[in-house]
Amino acid sequence: MTRALKLLLLPYMGAVIVAAFLWPAPAAGFIGESSRIVFFHVPCAWAATLAFIVGAVSSALFLWKRDRRYDDVAVASIRIGLLFGVLTLVTGSLFANIMWGTWWNWDPRESSYLLLVFLYGAYLFLRAAVEDPERRPRIAAAYALFAGVLMPFLTIVAPRVTASLHPQTVINREGKILMDTPTRVVFFNGLAAFSGLFFWMLSIAARAERLSRRE
Amino acid sequence: MSALSRAWAVCAKDATQELRKKVAIIAVFFFAATALALVSFGVGPFGLRAEDRPPLLAALLWIILFFAAATGLPRAFVAEEETGTGLALRKTIPAVYVLAGKTLFNFILFLAMAAVTIPGFVILLEWKVGSFPAVAAIMVVGGFGLAVVSTFLSALVARAGQRNVLFVLISFPLLVPLLQTAIRATTQATTGEFPSEGLRVLIAYDGAAACAAYMLAAVAWED
Repeated sequence: MTRALKLLLLPYMGAVIVAAFLWPAPAAGFIGESSRIVFFHVPCAWAATLAFIVGAVSSALFLWKRDRRYDDVAVASIRIGLLFGVLTLVTGSLFANIMWGTWWNWDPRESSYLLLVFLYGAYLFLRAAVEDPERRPRIAAAYALFAGVLMPFLTIVAPRVTASLHPQTVINREGKILMDTPTRVVFFNGLAAFSGLFFWMLSIAARAERLSRRE
Repeated sequence: MSALSRAWAVCAKDATQELRKKVAIIAVFFFAATALALVSFGVGPFGLRAEDRPPLLAALLWIILFFAAATGLPRAFVAEEETGTGLALRKTIPAVYVLAGKTLFNFILFLAMAAVTIPGFVILLEWKVGSFPAVAAIMVVGGFGLAVVSTFLSALVARAGQRNVLFVLISFPLLVPLLQTAIRATTQATTGEFPSEGLRVLIAYDGAAACAAYMLAAVAWED
């Protein structure tokens, strides 16, 4: 990322956070201000998904070009994806406690997201278990791609075939965005801000990965 | 040799090898029988309320099948590394045929295990099969997906440390959508309905897994 974009990200992110608390009115049908979690929970889930997609694409590029820099990006991206994935679970759990009186209730969406975190946690275990440094990125890339192909069954198909307490998502059966204008503006700017944050973190983490490999 | 005959040759080799040693195959069936006896002892034919029986028994059946399969399916490629035959196989047959042959062997092993376990489940737990064609279809489609994913992951962990623990760690999150759908479809089948939606999801899952495994076979198995 260019220096100017990085410098812009701080006030942009700050503005989105302030707007998330002050501009849109709390959504109807939710207890107190709990609906505001959508401005943090969904962007975290989005950033995690983006990270896993970048991880899969970088893995494919590594297998095609056999350039270790793509593997550095893949592992860095999946690590950051796991961080955002855990934040998604934590913010979801905070919402669940306010709305349903329990931190965790094995809702299909909660469970499938937890399994998604396990799925990419397993990627790091697999990397650690392959001792040969030449074979490690190849095996890890194959797993990341295989997992990437089956991931939609876990995150899109499985939660939708079972009844869920989770509020309607942006991807719903009606294909409509069920938000008023202020909510929509803050929400989509939140997605953009978290995407920017992800790419900034990725540029640092991938560089750190490359440096640690040279040691 | 045609593609099919190469894959069949690998499958026949694995079958001969495993039947000669017997230990691994016996372990799979023994695990299924022990788990079945344990469930039967704990639940019995009258241990569950009538309305709870279809979903709980379907879940128990798939748990038995999955864990029994998990004792045998990861052996596909691991056994080649343990016996030192991996290199010879790599040099003589392209990876994709090796993967296809081993998947076929695992699929047959799963079906054989299901064919032994399900009658035991019916007798010991008085499980009402409902629609037999539907249950058979779920076993075939679900078993194929289980075989494809397990065989591919076995190739990935074949030369890694802590293979058995690693296999469970990496396979479980990937297999949950298949198991969840298979359990729901089996529950539906026991009530006499044909689980067309569940079967469609299972077929899509199998197709996606088989295509990905086919594309990545060489990467997973190359030296």
